Amino acid sequence: MNIKVNGKTETIKEKSLAIAGLLKFSKVENPEMVSVQRNGAFVNKENFDTTYLEDGDEIDFIYFMGGGAHQRTVMKGEGL
Amino acid sequence: MKKAGFITKILHTKFSKEDPHGSLHAPLYENVAFEFKNAEELELAFQGKKPSHMYSRISNPTVEHFERRIQAVTGAAGVVALASGMAAISNAILTVTRTGDNIITSKHLFGNTYSLFEQTLKGWGLETRYGDLTKPEGLRELIDGKTRAIFLETITNPQLEVADLKALSRIARETGILLIVDTTMTPPYLFSAKDFGVDIEVLSSTKWISGGATSVGGLIIDHGLFDWKKNEKLSGDAVKSGPFAFISRLRREVYRNMGACLSPHNAFLQSLGLETLPLRLDTACANTHKVAEFLKRASGVKSVNYPGLKDSPFYETARTQFGGKPGAVLTLDLGSKEQCFKFMNHLKLVRRATNLHDNRTLILHPASTIFCEYSPALKEDMGVRETLIRLAVGIEDSQDLIADIEQGLETLR
Repeated sequence: MNIKVNGKTETIKEKSLAIAGLLKFSKVENPEMVSVQRNGAFVNKENFDTTYLEDGDEIDFIYFMGGGAHQRTVMKGEGL
Repeated sequence: MKKAGFITKILHTKFSKEDPHGSLHAPLYENVAFEFKNAEELELAFQGKKPSHMYSRISNPTVEHFERRIQAVTGAAGVVALASGMAAISNAILTVTRTGDNIITSKHLFGNTYSLFEQTLKGWGLETRYGDLTKPEGLRELIDGKTRAIFLETITNPQLEVADLKALSRIARETGILLIVDTTMTPPYLFSAKDFGVDIEVLSSTKWISGGATSVGGLIIDHGLFDWKKNEKLSGDAVKSGPFAFISRLRREVYRNMGACLSPHNAFLQSLGLETLPLRLDTACANTHKVAEFLKRASGVKSVNYPGLKDSPFYETARTQFGGKPGAVLTLDLGSKEQCFKFMNHLKLVRRATNLHDNRTLILHPASTIFCEYSPALKEDMGVRETLIRLAVGIEDSQDLIADIEQGLETLR
């Protein structure tokens, strides 16, 4: 299938790929900070594994620099 | 391991990028612009599609680290640091309202906030409706289809009233409007705004957080509780940005365009101040209790107001909301304005200055200073009497403070 990622056309060979897989495929920088829009609509982080892409989808990876980074700040040495 | 405590979280908030030298403090990036490898990367950054800082009015690594620390201790959805507490209030209000809308608050407000609502924002078509926030149910009749928020201070300055935030939150939730709360008097550590249903927290970080008045700054904290589809202005943003509609509109429009950014230097100082915030808060609150108890017994003092005193009408609400530490500001009434001035002028340790939560104890006569631009009738309406003195208690040794206050009061006899 062909999709657009951040405005650039990408050909996906896999028959099915969820947003979580696309984050890896696209080698997204700081994936914990990214916000995802699919065809202009917000995709909740908890739905990344279950939201499957369709041919013609337009996906945008958006960052908000600073403390509004969409994910609770992770502490050094997780589990502290 | 159990969930980390406040100071641990502050001290161990991860840097957004590993420091090449292993610095334990997030370094101070006192620069304006950031360079990109090529034009394509610069384009992506401008579109928000690359996690890079571009220009320090919009974001900066040192400011970001300060914001991330606040996010770590509040569990917020998003945090924006600004140039001052007033910038935090004005940016928050401008993000959620438009001409023709209204907000609800009390006349018992910090003088400059009242001026912002009544003079600055009124001129642009935002109506402010005033009610008694200590009687929450009475507010329902002020709310209509154009009401966007209830705004209040956790402890009003200088009336020291404490409203029931859970009751206000319930009304806000039922009517689909925001609860915006100024927590300057009770910052994170004293008060967990999210637990009381506060949608947006604003505060002056100039006070406690800066480390004792080292620098001017402000914070907007979005606790991620509000359904942004219910705010007329941001309902479209809610489709694109979901729970981050407010932070998105703030960062990409209002905050960026208004230009009231926190300087990296001040962010560095405030980040340092944050590391010792609980230690200073504990001491200042304990000192305030001791000074309030002393003043209650002192001759010449007509009345003492502090929500930590058992005879305060707000004692129970303050105890529930602030865990027995209701800030470090108290007020006292003397016999006249002249007596207030005479007392203030004879103090040797307590400083005559307009600020709160310096490490030093500061004293002020609100009626002749912060509220000087208002008529006597309005001042009365605002609970700002000519006989009222505000004492913002610091972290000095309490016996020294009490001795200074005692000798000041003796001059009135």
